[in-house]
Amino acid sequence: MQPMGNDKPANVPGRPVLPSPAAPRPSTPFISSGPVVGLGTSGVPQTAAPFLSSGPITGMQMSNYRSSPPPIRYNGPSSPPPPTSYPGQDATTYQQTQAPRFPPPAQPGTPLRVPPPVGLPVTPPMGSLHPQLQIPSVPMGPPPQTAAQSSSRSYMPPPVSESSFSAPRPPPQPSLHGYSNMLPGGNMPPSPAETQFLAPRSVSQPASQQAFPAFHVPPVHASPYHVHQGGVVPPPLPPLGGPLGYNSRGQMQYPSTGPPMGGNLQGLVEEFQSLSVGSAPGSLDHGVDAKSLPRPLNGDEEPIKIQETYPLNCHPRFFRLTTHAIPSSQSLLARWHLPLGAVVHPLAEVPDGEEVPIVNFGPAGVIRCRRCRTYVNPYVTFMDAGRKWRCNLCSLLNDVPGEYYCALDASGRRCDIDQRPELSKGSVEFVAPTEYMVRPPMPPLYFFLIDVSISAVRCGLFEIVAKTIKSCLDELPGFPRTQIGFLTFDSTLHFHNLKSSLTQPQMLVVADLDDIFLPLPDDLLVNLSDSRHVVDALLDILPSMFQDNANVESALGPALKAAFMVMSQLGGKLLVFQSTLPSLGVGRLRLRGDDLRIYGTDKEHTLRVPEDPFYKQMAAEFTKNQISVDIYAFSEKYTDIASLGSLAKYTGGQVYHLPSFQAATHQEKLRYELARDLTRETAWESVMRIRCGKGVRFSTYHGHFMLRSTDLLALPAVDCDKAFAMQLSLEDTLMTTQIVYFQVALLYTSSSGERRIRVHTAAAPVVADLGEMYHQADTGAIISLLSRLAIENTQSHKLEDARQLMQLKLVKSLKEYRNLYVMQHRLGGRLIFPESLKFLPLYVLSLCKSVALRGGYADAPLDERCAAGYNMMILPIRRMLKLLYPGLYKIDENLIKGPEYSEKSSKQLALSAQSLDPRALYIYDDGFSFIIWLGRMLSPDLVNGILGLDVSGFPDLSKLALLEHDNEYSRKLMRILKRLREKDPSCFQLCRVVRQGEQPREGSLLLSNLIEDQTAGTSSYVDWILQVYRQSQSS
Amino acid sequence: MVFVWLAAFFLLIALIVLVIYQLMCLADLEFDYINPYDSSSRINKAVIPEFVLQGVLCLLFLLSGHWLMFLFCAPNLYYNVRLYQQRQHLVDVTEIFNQLNGEKKRRLLKLINLVVLIFLCLFWMIWSVLEDDE
Repeated sequence: MQPMGNDKPANVPGRPVLPSPAAPRPSTPFISSGPVVGLGTSGVPQTAAPFLSSGPITGMQMSNYRSSPPPIRYNGPSSPPPPTSYPGQDATTYQQTQAPRFPPPAQPGTPLRVPPPVGLPVTPPMGSLHPQLQIPSVPMGPPPQTAAQSSSRSYMPPPVSESSFSAPRPPPQPSLHGYSNMLPGGNMPPSPAETQFLAPRSVSQPASQQAFPAFHVPPVHASPYHVHQGGVVPPPLPPLGGPLGYNSRGQMQYPSTGPPMGGNLQGLVEEFQSLSVGSAPGSLDHGVDAKSLPRPLNGDEEPIKIQETYPLNCHPRFFRLTTHAIPSSQSLLARWHLPLGAVVHPLAEVPDGEEVPIVNFGPAGVIRCRRCRTYVNPYVTFMDAGRKWRCNLCSLLNDVPGEYYCALDASGRRCDIDQRPELSKGSVEFVAPTEYMVRPPMPPLYFFLIDVSISAVRCGLFEIVAKTIKSCLDELPGFPRTQIGFLTFDSTLHFHNLKSSLTQPQMLVVADLDDIFLPLPDDLLVNLSDSRHVVDALLDILPSMFQDNANVESALGPALKAAFMVMSQLGGKLLVFQSTLPSLGVGRLRLRGDDLRIYGTDKEHTLRVPEDPFYKQMAAEFTKNQISVDIYAFSEKYTDIASLGSLAKYTGGQVYHLPSFQAATHQEKLRYELARDLTRETAWESVMRIRCGKGVRFSTYHGHFMLRSTDLLALPAVDCDKAFAMQLSLEDTLMTTQIVYFQVALLYTSSSGERRIRVHTAAAPVVADLGEMYHQADTGAIISLLSRLAIENTQSHKLEDARQLMQLKLVKSLKEYRNLYVMQHRLGGRLIFPESLKFLPLYVLSLCKSVALRGGYADAPLDERCAAGYNMMILPIRRMLKLLYPGLYKIDENLIKGPEYSEKSSKQLALSAQSLDPRALYIYDDGFSFIIWLGRMLSPDLVNGILGLDVSGFPDLSKLALLEHDNEYSRKLMRILKRLREKDPSCFQLCRVVRQGEQPREGSLLLSNLIEDQTAGTSSYVDWILQVYRQSQSS
Repeated sequence: MVFVWLAAFFLLIALIVLVIYQLMCLADLEFDYINPYDSSSRINKAVIPEFVLQGVLCLLFLLSGHWLMFLFCAPNLYYNVRLYQQRQHLVDVTEIFNQLNGEKKRRLLKLINLVVLIFLCLFWMIWSVLEDDE
């Protein structure tokens, strides 16, 4: 991998004898800056150098640094250090280095400040440097950007950028380079230079140095930079203040591994990060500085860079591979221990201006490959003067229909390419002609199945549901074709005749649950615009109609059958409002999950799968008839979400679980989510298929859908809140192609009654190198796929097994990665991981602590666990990551003085109890709910203002609904909440207030969700890293 | 004796036909010739008769005192009973694609067992016919 490094191995032995061989080289750069730049870029000459200096120097700097007074440092470099540190090597140096490192959290400033004096000679450049530091990410086309993003956090500027940037840099830098170049050479006497580059080192950690040498490339440059950044520019985002002990990254240039596509040639730079974990004798505790661990405080970063290398690909919001590099052989795949696959979000919401273009081919019909049925896309090539086109998936030569013919220009491109979005954009929507219909496009259809037994009456459900539905009637998609129907049930079924000629709805009761029949052939399902007044009347009287109902039974099974009979002709969306355990007729469920003894045994998983096959069969029938089921479950008691949820699972639906529903506190959530469910753009009677090029195949699919054939997903209804994941397998032992193409095609009926095909096309390179796979890995997609696998695993195994499986995958992948590098570079005592996966350990830890997977019986109610599982199966990547690493913001300052709440003023904090200050107010946002945490010492004014009541009497906050009160604090808080909610419109975040020390609510609501902390039976982030490190080391 | 073997032979033939039928349904499903609904309903129709025949076969061997033959088909019977008790004997239309490989393997093993049995059965039948002749 590093052929370059090897060409000067001779230097290695010379290591201790610093000055001699390298001296001349470095000096030159120093003097004449220009050339150096070139040097730096080419990388070759220097490569050897870092190697030399690697370990030893590190050590020595460290020691110097420790004894922080600058003078000493001066001396250190110039002569004594080599002797001392070399022999000592890692062990000794480390001790010295690390022991002092721990205190730093407290005094992070010191290390940062140290460099400037030392680097004095160079100070002028520093000033100018600063601005440039920001620049790198922009102009730099290729991969290195990743580094740039992270740099902010890691406090070390990305070495990558430095190296690749050297050329464009303005004058000041060259001098830096000069310095740096010296480094390799060994310690050159010239004092300014020395100091300059030593200083940097003192700041940068041992980790970095160790890593750098490994990579033979620009470490040297990197370090001077650090100094500058560290000294002059305080780290942009070091919320954790942890400059020390943090990970470094090295990088490696590969001259030849470039992926096939030209654009990707600069993907030559690889890098990894490492985290010093070796515990040093004499250090205060284990060798991890908690503050320096990587945290995704900026939320999900979509892999935009792929779009830059493959501009014709669809946007990553629609399609993300777990690694944008397909392994070329089975054996390579076997070494990639993480799942290989993709996360598809076909109807993802797009920002204004980026709408998917709609293409109508008219009489030509949709252009597709004859053999593999691929849709025409930007990657097809036109040949034979434009009369033929070659399919990019199966390479079959197809004829271009006469209507679609267009001449080619000199470069072989079609002349009309700019007018044809299907040839220039990765995502398009085709209007499908009649061949794509098996029946006339169905109208949007909504059928409501409402449980009116006593528990529903008690929690005040109808009023909200009826009002919400009524308010949404005007916005239901598909006017004027929309159809609607209602069925209420307790121990009997109540049909509602909504015939348009009636003035009032008629209720028809069927009490025979064993032999369901429809009392009317039609009029149970009516056209909304025709019967609008009847529907309005029904919704008006619905709340009062059942308010005295004392029936405790609920015949959900028969009601589902009846609904099926009503809807089976057309299909549509069935919304089930269930507030108690189904107790009558077919499909009755029993109380389970109370049996403590079953936990921890092999039968544990049976609690998490549907008990009665009725629900699965029903779901299969629903899907067959294009009916999608959404479950709204409200009971505080056990309702067997595992069974009910399977209705949603196989019909492309969704589970809304609102346990212990109380109208007063939950109404807003229900109202918002029901309204969104009813009014969001929905694709009806759809099927989705993902085609991929030769040699690969999607083998398993995960999400809410039903497989109609091996690769065809049936989705009775699908919308922007559903994402699907799938795993990829290689069919041949060796891939012959250079690029693999994927095409997602979703055929659906739009609400307006048009048949459409949404097509997303993407290309990914085939690589023969594991390092490249790691480099291109996408943590978001990996964790999304992993979580789905884990949840499916809990349905056939114990929770414990599922968690262990996750951990095993993580450890194996890190071990494999380690094996890639550890041989060449001495990396003992640190955990190394690719830059692209730096958050993976944290996310996996968080996954293990998520509601669906955490602990055992006592840690989460069974229903909540199942509901969380169903939810995680459909979450798009961004929301999944938000759920796994929720935001924690300190907002009291915004409330008190604040200029307006701005993004800058409230940074996301680490999810640990240490971030909580008793004098402050925090908001915790996991995308599903907000929790406001009031510190104990928060000013009572503020608290009273927000809550609108006096807290000195310790009122019960669990029943409190946060409303806007007439004071500045409350208004500001509401504005903040509103803004946070706007960021994630797919669900309503219910806001709950909890005070510090208010047990047990504080524990269950917030503390157990601070995933970096140690809670009963789970490890803290630091322990987890240590654990992963230890396991990845043991072979 | 010959009649016992003859009956066992025909039972085995019937069993093999049933298992092969199920395997064919699964194969058709895999190659997308039929949809999962038809496939699973066809398979499920054949499952109970298969289990019953298997039971009858075992009983036949047991009653006629052919212990060795009984032992050969007992594992299969035990497996069937267990599946039935766990309510997993029918294929699940919603998960059929995920279970396809397992279901196929299951039935192939059954088929192998049955084929071995049928050869043994033939052997014994011929043996007993020859014995009768003597």
